[in-house]
Amino acid sequence: MLVFRTCRGAFGQVRSFHVATASTAAAAQAKEKPVRNKTFAIYRWNPDKPDEKPHLQEYNVDLNSCGPMVLDALIKIKNEMDPTLTFRRSCREGICGSCAMNISGVNTLACICKIDASSSATKIYPLPHMYVVKDLVPDMNNFYKQYKSIEPWLQRDDDNVKKTTEHLQSVGDRQKLDGLYECILCACCSTSCPSYWWNGDKYLGPAVLMQAYRWIIDSRDEATTKRLDKMRDPFSAFRCHTIMNCTKTCPKGLNPGRAIAEIKKMLGGVAKKDEPQLRTAH
Amino acid sequence: MSLIFRLAGQRGASQFLKNNAGLINCVRPVTIKASKVTLPAEEGHDERNMKLKRPQSPHLTIYKPQLTAILSISHRATGMVLAAYTVGLGLAGIVAPEAVPNYIDCLHDVSPTIVQFIKFSLAFPMCYHFWNGIRHLIWDTGKFLTISGVYNTGYLMLLITFLSAGYLTFV
Repeated sequence: MLVFRTCRGAFGQVRSFHVATASTAAAAQAKEKPVRNKTFAIYRWNPDKPDEKPHLQEYNVDLNSCGPMVLDALIKIKNEMDPTLTFRRSCREGICGSCAMNISGVNTLACICKIDASSSATKIYPLPHMYVVKDLVPDMNNFYKQYKSIEPWLQRDDDNVKKTTEHLQSVGDRQKLDGLYECILCACCSTSCPSYWWNGDKYLGPAVLMQAYRWIIDSRDEATTKRLDKMRDPFSAFRCHTIMNCTKTCPKGLNPGRAIAEIKKMLGGVAKKDEPQLRTAH
Repeated sequence: MSLIFRLAGQRGASQFLKNNAGLINCVRPVTIKASKVTLPAEEGHDERNMKLKRPQSPHLTIYKPQLTAILSISHRATGMVLAAYTVGLGLAGIVAPEAVPNYIDCLHDVSPTIVQFIKFSLAFPMCYHFWNGIRHLIWDTGKFLTISGVYNTGYLMLLITFLSAGYLTFV
């Protein structure tokens, strides 16, 4: 008990000392640091005034009173300068994919994109070649519809039979899904792809194709032939011309370009899906 | 059904609203009837957005020029130039009043700089399209499809292209 009390006393002292230094340091910092102004030029369009052309609006943010990421700046602008600025955001840590947008000419997630501290203005646009709902919010319906069209769920021949066992998958087979399942469907890659810009209605785009591949090579999935047959046309997969903007832009560091190449190999009959290493008894 | 509701209502009310007897009268039996949902007519993605006058977000004009896209569009451009050379020079060979070797002989009198320029503009699209075509064929086997692979093969392809185009120009 005595030890505990002594310890608590000591910790309490340390804490108060720490708080004191922190507050004086903050005060000194506020005095010393000059204003670091950064200009953000942000794409604006208001659906209530649909006939007004979209334009770039400039905002000045003091980086010394702002978080490090572009999303921090956007939230600061919305909170303190212009509450009408509209954008999607949720997790602020690169796992939800809501804040995908075009920052300084490259598609990325605003929440994991560091503010470029250089003096030139940072331009922020919505994801390219999408219909704009408002400001930085694009209409994602077509993208989601395409995702739905590849039937992104496990399909087995015995789906109608009631099962009492789990589907087995070997460690090796599971590893084939690494680099595919991490996709958060932010659509950065699809909307960076010129092919998707020109043929977004019929070409599935890198994000959806990579998810299609994720189910095609899943050792537990048995609908491989059906999945591939659906893509045997000139548009669904073969509009990919290996430009590789997708892989270059992916904020999660994934490689949709390679996944599409693997799909093309399977469609061309050059590659085949491996037999599962573990079989589930039917 | 209504009996159940009424009983439940009375019990619930007697338990929680003892002091306010007036509220018991507010509990009335409700039966819910399921009706079929009528789905709205399917409207096209483009039609719907155009009706709402939504603008298309900018794309080609604002996207950062990167090696990935630039090498790809130049592959297309050089392909088109090669097609134009084949068709244009082929037709010129047929239509021209004199045989082709005569025109080539005329180049002896032209300054070597102009000849080199002509040779380079013939050789460069051919070399570029050839070597980048091989790069694409390698990609189709699934190799070098990482960002470092794409950039390294891109720079290597450019080096080989300029060397071979230079060779065809000056030798």
